This record gives sequence, structure tokens and C-alpha cells, in this order.
Amino acid sequence: MEFLSRLLGTLITVVIAVGASAGIWVVANLIVNQVKIDWSRYRALTLGLLGFFGGVLLSGNLITRYSGPADGALAKFGYWVWLPLLTGLGAAAVGYFLGRVEAPTTRLAIGAGGLAALGVFAGAMVRNQYRPEIEIGWLAVCTIVGAAIAAVPALLRRRSPVAGALIGAAAGWVVGAWGVPDHGAGSAGWTIVAMAVPPALIGARLALGTIPGETHRSLIDQRARAIVFIGPALLFIFGALVVPALRTLLLSLKSRDSSEFVWFDNYADIFRDENSWNPANWTDTFTSRLFWIGLILLVAFVILGAMGRRQTGRTVELGSPSMGPLVVGGFLVSLAVFSTVRGTIANNLWWVVVVTLLSTAVGLAIAVLADGARFEKVAKSLVFMPMAISMVGASVIWRFMYVARDSSTEQTGVMNGIWVGLGRLSTGEKVASTLLVAVLIITLAAGVIRRVADRNWIGAGIAVAVGIAGVLVLNWLWNLLDPEALRIVVGVVISLVFVGLVVAVARALVKRTHARAVLPGVVALALGWFLIRYWQIIGGGVGGQRVNSGGRQVPDPINFIQEPPFNNMWLMVVLIWIQTGFAMVILSAAIKAVPTELIEAAKVDGATTSQVFWRVTLPQVGTTIGVVVTTLMVLVMKVYDIVQVLTNGNFGTQVLANNMFNETFSNRDFGIGSALAMLIFVSVLPIIYMNIRRMQKEA
Amino acid sequence: MSTITTVQTDPGSGAPGLVSRIYGVLRGIPMWVLWGFVVLWSLPTVGLFVSGFRERDAQRSTGWWQFRFGDLTLDNYQTIFDSQGFSTSLLNSMAISIPATIIPIAIAAFAAYGFAWIDFKGRKGLFIMTVALLAVPLQVALLPLLQLWNNGAHYTVPWIEKTVTVVPNFGFGGETTAVWLTHTGFGLPFAIFLLHNYISSLPKDVFEAARIDGADHFTIFWRLVLPLSIPVLAAFAIFQFLWTWNDFLIANTMVATNPDARPTTILIASLAGDFGRNEFLLPAAAFIQSFFPLVVFFALQRYFVRGLLAGSVKG
Repeated sequence: MEFLSRLLGTLITVVIAVGASAGIWVVANLIVNQVKIDWSRYRALTLGLLGFFGGVLLSGNLITRYSGPADGALAKFGYWVWLPLLTGLGAAAVGYFLGRVEAPTTRLAIGAGGLAALGVFAGAMVRNQYRPEIEIGWLAVCTIVGAAIAAVPALLRRRSPVAGALIGAAAGWVVGAWGVPDHGAGSAGWTIVAMAVPPALIGARLALGTIPGETHRSLIDQRARAIVFIGPALLFIFGALVVPALRTLLLSLKSRDSSEFVWFDNYADIFRDENSWNPANWTDTFTSRLFWIGLILLVAFVILGAMGRRQTGRTVELGSPSMGPLVVGGFLVSLAVFSTVRGTIANNLWWVVVVTLLSTAVGLAIAVLADGARFEKVAKSLVFMPMAISMVGASVIWRFMYVARDSSTEQTGVMNGIWVGLGRLSTGEKVASTLLVAVLIITLAAGVIRRVADRNWIGAGIAVAVGIAGVLVLNWLWNLLDPEALRIVVGVVISLVFVGLVVAVARALVKRTHARAVLPGVVALALGWFLIRYWQIIGGGVGGQRVNSGGRQVPDPINFIQEPPFNNMWLMVVLIWIQTGFAMVILSAAIKAVPTELIEAAKVDGATTSQVFWRVTLPQVGTTIGVVVTTLMVLVMKVYDIVQVLTNGNFGTQVLANNMFNETFSNRDFGIGSALAMLIFVSVLPIIYMNIRRMQKEA
Repeated sequence: MSTITTVQTDPGSGAPGLVSRIYGVLRGIPMWVLWGFVVLWSLPTVGLFVSGFRERDAQRSTGWWQFRFGDLTLDNYQTIFDSQGFSTSLLNSMAISIPATIIPIAIAAFAAYGFAWIDFKGRKGLFIMTVALLAVPLQVALLPLLQLWNNGAHYTVPWIEKTVTVVPNFGFGGETTAVWLTHTGFGLPFAIFLLHNYISSLPKDVFEAARIDGADHFTIFWRLVLPLSIPVLAAFAIFQFLWTWNDFLIANTMVATNPDARPTTILIASLAGDFGRNEFLLPAAAFIQSFFPLVVFFALQRYFVRGLLAGSVKG
């Protein structure tokens, strides 16, 4: 029951909020409609509203008499609304006549006189404790300053400054008569004057204008309409983004409780702090294996680039052979650097590099692989699905993937399950058989799916039967063998695959089809390393196992989340998992949008499919890749949820956004927190600038 | 990437028998890689789904892939709804994401139409400025907004030492209202950008014909533009719904201290943070939390993708 009533309450709030905003907006439009239909009605409505809001300001703040619930008989009914109604109606009448009468003196009398009369009435109603103790000097200064400021724009445009000055004087008067002085001991007469002058000035301003003609009215309609249509949005954007951002800038220059200015001390503190930037161990970079592999690749890039330069005149371009070594080599070197140079800022940059690069690369790969494949839509929406899951949910999902249990018990996380399983593989335990059985099952499942897709039901049935039989036979077979024999069988199978790959590479090299050597080459390298470990030529076996002090092999799980510095990478995996779908969808659409004529033309000229992809399709989607990369960079720069849920910045995984949140809301240091927020903002400024440039080009 | 080399190579090159069969297998490699990715990408979610139905002890002793059908139970779901205040937080999530979706749509549709079809001075500059705010990190506005909702905005004028109340304290502090109002402001630049892209590309003739028939901007907007823009409105609605439903940062800033106003994301994060006591409830809670967005996502994926393609610069 409580649930239902809360649900109802929520719905009612929503309906009221939506209905009220829509209602106000429609009414505003109806009022603007009157500009063209009936000018005097429009004037009456706008002035009436102005008068009404003026009245609301007075009685809502209990400044006038009989406006509170405790003010006697008159106040019983609509105590706050009677004054606004009165001033509203009065102002509406003035507006109506201003919309009709054309003689200048009469207009002045109606405008200034009518509104002044309302002001006199309101002034007489002001409660005693609000009577201002006016100081003539301040009042004059404020009024003159207000008038002068408001006159400037008109003077700049070489028009008569009178109209602007009148409005400015009214505003200045309000400040000087009501804002500056103390309240309570002023005289009744001055109170009435103080209240009557601003409306009189506004009335005079309106009276100075003439009744607009046909063209002028449509111009006014246009302008008023622009305000009605765009005003609400601008109001929200200014209120929720622009002004708060400026205030954050201000707070970042102040002390922790915002009581005094410390100027750039907060920023200096951030950069001086070892937790934000700590390059002490940077020399370790040169001892890391990643660095040297990356360096070799970069050398390969220089060679390939020089070759490409001779052929095409460019060292590197999207899709040229030098591109791969450059990206991969640069990536590996950056990993080496980021794993030695530590700190919040370094972590943020690390996130940006890894997540942006891998999400885009894997997204592009999937987009290409899925293009035109069978069940393309299913495949794509499954990869895309994590986009719908919250980052908190995704972090929870991966937390369970990464669980590390004590080595004496069974692993419950998938990652450690695989890792420790690999370790058991090299000791010849039954895991090896499980792995091969799994491969068999997956193969057969694919066969079954394909036959079902072909509506070959009998074939599918046979495949299922063969699968079950195969699993049973294999299981029986494995149980016969002892661990060491099993290990040798599995090793021989993998070694044969390795030999096959090497042969394929050699064949490709002999035939001088170098492109075809790349994939088998890369796989053969990885498999070769695996085999070296597996046969224990270097090191002691594969995966999560180690030899303990008693000389026995025991499982050795990885604590993915808590082992710095590469736990950062495991957190990044979560965001990559989410954002790859995004990159894939955008790039897939771009690939499909490449004009078929281009591809046909390339094929006619004798380009192979791989050449078509690297030389035609990829350069065509270049700008889209740029959009994906910039979007991801902005997003990654702000990463917060994942770090907060998985580590809360512990174990060397702190990032700017999480640090900002903790400093501001846990540590309550508003200075440092705001400075960190500004740092995030400054780091995305170049991208904002690029977006603006792009839009200016499009507009 | 070089898998593409194998994908469309000419099969066989004339060689019969075994060679062409091997080629056939090799030609299938890209498909295998693709489905490898798909499995890799869905595996974590599947694991979560299965874990949600396993008891605490089962979850702790074996991996989810070792589950047995007999052991599956709905107890975890029962527990989170009965004792963890999950129904309240679901309701709070709705109270945040429904207004935070509908209201920006309306406001942004007005503004997008204004920017696209009403002539006024400074239109282009104002539009570019609005849309440039897309990429502004929300962190930059969080603290001032929290202060605004908690205390209102007051300004002490220098020299005369008087405090002026610019915005009174409406008492939104720690309420869901504060969250959806904040979302409304933050969502608008993107909404305007997305809707403007679409509305400005509507054919000009339609507008001119309507204008000649004497229709004003209000009528054109109401009768013509709004019905024509349903697809893009849907696209944005899905976007904003997923964004607000899944948001953690803003909710954590605005309502983390008020247990009655916490949305699901905060509840899950606090379950995850209490030193493993309730860890076994996490899969079930995370699954329910993701359930609504997933339904919306799979049902309306077409619109979602359209929105993504039209506006891939959200900040």
C-alpha cells in the first residue's frame, strides 16, 4: 500500500510539473499571438502580467499589509493574491490605453501617471518595518549610474539614449531606495515616493514609444517568439551549467571553506602532491619488456615509413602498412611509461590512451567483421548491449569476473578460473580435457546453429548426437590417461597447430603475398611463446600456478583489482567493454555509407579485397574515427563510477573525477575539489574548441 | 584486422579436394573471430544473470559456470525486495528519470525549433554556444548546484554588506527533485543539438506553405513540427532515460545522504561497498537495475542507434 501511494505521489508530481510547464508555455505563445491580432490587447496582457508579478514580489515576501495568513478578515481568502490581482488589473488597464491612444502627451499622462498611481497605492500598503531610511546621496548615485549604464548600448548604436536610460534609472532607483538603506525607521511619504518612481519611469518609457505599424509588429512577434521558444532552454542551461561553472572557477581560487582568496595555491598544491604526479620511478620504464617490444615496433614503423615514403610520398597515412607498428608500438611504450610514472593525472591519461584506442580498434574490427555477415544484427546488438547497462552495474558484473579466492579453494571468478585453469593445463590435470571438450562443444554448437539456420533439421539432430557421443568418448578416454600423458597429448596437439601456422607463414613469404603472412605470423608468435612456457623451456609452465617452498605446484590466482600498476588496466577493461559497442555502431554505419561506386571502381582497377579495405574504406571512414575518438576522450576524461565502485581510488587507481568527488564531498575541501573539477574541464577544452570549429564549418 | 585478408580471398584458386576444404575453413575464420567477440562480450552479463539465482554459499564455493539447475532459487530477489529497500529505490529511480526525460524533451523541442526556424539576431552564435556546452564535464557544476539546492543562492553585495537572495531555498536538498532538475539542465545541450539536427532538415516548402496559409510559429510548431519529429523525440527520450536511470554521479552528489531518496545505482554501490556482507545480493540487484534499460534498449534499439549516429558528441 505504501508503495502504491508513493507511486501515485510520484506520478502526480510528474504530471503537475509537466502540465504546469507546458501550460505556461502555451499561454506565453497565446499572448505573443496577440501582437499581430490586437496590439492593445497584447500591451494590456504583458503589462498586466508585469504588474501581477510586481504584486507577487511584494505580497509574497510579506512586504505589504494584509498579505499574510495572520492579517485578519481580509486576509482569510487569497491573502497573498489580492494585491497582485489589483496591480495586475491596473497595469493591464494602463497597457490597454497605451495600445490605443496616439497623442504623445496623453500617452505620457496615462503611462507614467497610471503606473505611478499603482505605485503610490502599493507604497501606502508597505508595512512599517519595511519603510526604507533613504539617503538622498546614495539614491541619486544609484539612479544616475543605472541610467548611464543602460544608455551605453543605445549611444554605441547612435540612437537616442532616453528610452534605455529611463529603464536603467528605474533599476538604479530600486537598488538605491530599497537595496542600500536600512529598513524600518523611514517616513511614510518617502516610502510612497520610493515605490512610485520606478513604475512611473517604466510607464514613461512605454509612453515614449508609438503604436507600431504592420512590419514593426511582425518584427516584434518574431523577437518575442524567439524568447518564448528559446528562453526556457537558455534559462536552464545558464542556471545549471554556465553560472555553476563560473562559480566553481571562483571557488577553485578560494580556500577550503571558501572564506578567503588563495588564488592559484590549490592548483599548485595539486601538482605538488605526490599522489597526483609521481615520476620518481620513471627509469624503470627502460627495464620493462613492454617498452622494448614497443621500441622494436617503432623501429619497424620507421623502416616501413621510409619505404612507404618512397612509394607514396607519405610516411604514414590511415591504412598504410606503417600505421600498424606505429599504433601498436606507441601503445606498448605508453603502457610501459604509465606503469612507472604514477599518480592521479598519469592514471587519467592512461585511461584516455587505453580506453580510446582499444574501444575504437575493437569496435572497428567488429564492425568490419560483422559487415554483411550472417546474423549481423544479433551479433551487433549483443556487443552493443553493455551500453544499456549502468556503469555501476557493469562494475558489479566485472567485480564478479575478477574475484580472486585463496589459492587453496576453487576460483569463482571467470578470469581467475581461466588463469588458474591454464596453470593446471601445464600440470596435466583434467582441466586440459575440459578445455578440449569445450572446444568440441563450441564447434558442434556452431554446426548445429548453421544447420538450424539452413532449416536442415536432420543435420542438426545428427550434429547434436555426434556432439554428445564425442564428449562421452573423449571423457572416457581422458580418464584412462595419467596426468603426464595427458599433458603430452595436449602439448603435441598445440605444437602441431603451431607448426601448421609456421608453414602457412613460410608459404606466404615464399609466394611474396606478405599481407597473408601477418595474421598467421602474429598467432604463431603468441602460440610459440605459449609453447615455450608449456614445455617449460623458459620459466615454469603456463598460467596461474607456482612452485611452493615444498616443491609442489600450487594454483596462483591474480588479484586483478588490487595489484598495481596493472590493476588500472583491468578497471579500464570495464569501460572498454561498455564503449566498444558505441564505437562499433558509429563505425559500422560509416562503413555502410561508403559509396559502392568507389569500391567497384577500385575492384575494376584490380585491387584485392584487403587493398580495398585498407586503401579505400578505411580512409573514407577517417573523419568518423575522429568523431568516435574525440567523443570517447571526453567521456573517459570524466570516468568516475567504475573507479568509485571497484576501488574508490585505492591501490593506485585514483583518477581526477573520483579524487574531485572525494575531496569535495568527503573531505569537504571545496578549494581543491573545485580546482580538480576545473582541471577536468581544462583538459577537454581543446575538444570543445574542435567541436565548435566543426559546427561553424557545417553551419 | 588482417583477418579481413582471409575473409574474401578467392576460394580454391582452382585446387580441388583437401586444399579447397581447408580454404573453406579459413574463409570461416572472420566469422569465428566475430562470434568469439560476441561470446566474450555477453559472457559477463550471462554470469551475472546466473549468479543472481544462486544461493550465498553456492556463489562463494564454486564459479557460476558450475551451477546446477536444482540449486537455482529466487531467494536473492526475495531478500533485496523485502529487506534492502529495493522497491523504494526503484521508485526513486522512476521519480528521477521520468520527469528528467519528459521535461527536457519539451524544452529542447521549443528551443530547437526556435534555433532552426525563427529569425533573430545572434541566432547562430547562441546556438553554437549552447551546443559547445555538450562536452563540458558535469563535475564543473556539481558543487555549486548542490549548494543551490541545499541553501538557495545568496549574494553578499560588497561595500554595503547586504545579502541578497537570488534564488530562495525551495527545500529540494536531498530530494529526487534536485536530481531531475539537475539532469534537465545537463541534458539540454545534447537534446537541443540532436533535435535541431532533425528539425532544421525538415523541408522548407512545408513551412512556407503553412506561413502563406497564415499559420504562426506556434501553430506550425504544434501542428507540423511536433508530429513530424516523433522519431527523433523517441531517440532522445531513450537516450535520456538510459542516461538518467543509469546515472550515479549526480545522484550520489545530490541524494546520497537521504536513504528515502536513493535511486537503484546508489543502493547497489552501497551494497558493493559494505565489505562483502551482502555481496551475494549484488548480482540479483544489478540484474533488476539493468532490467528496465535492457528492455527499453532491445525494444527500441533502432531509435537509440539513430540518436547515437546523429549526436555522437555528448559530453
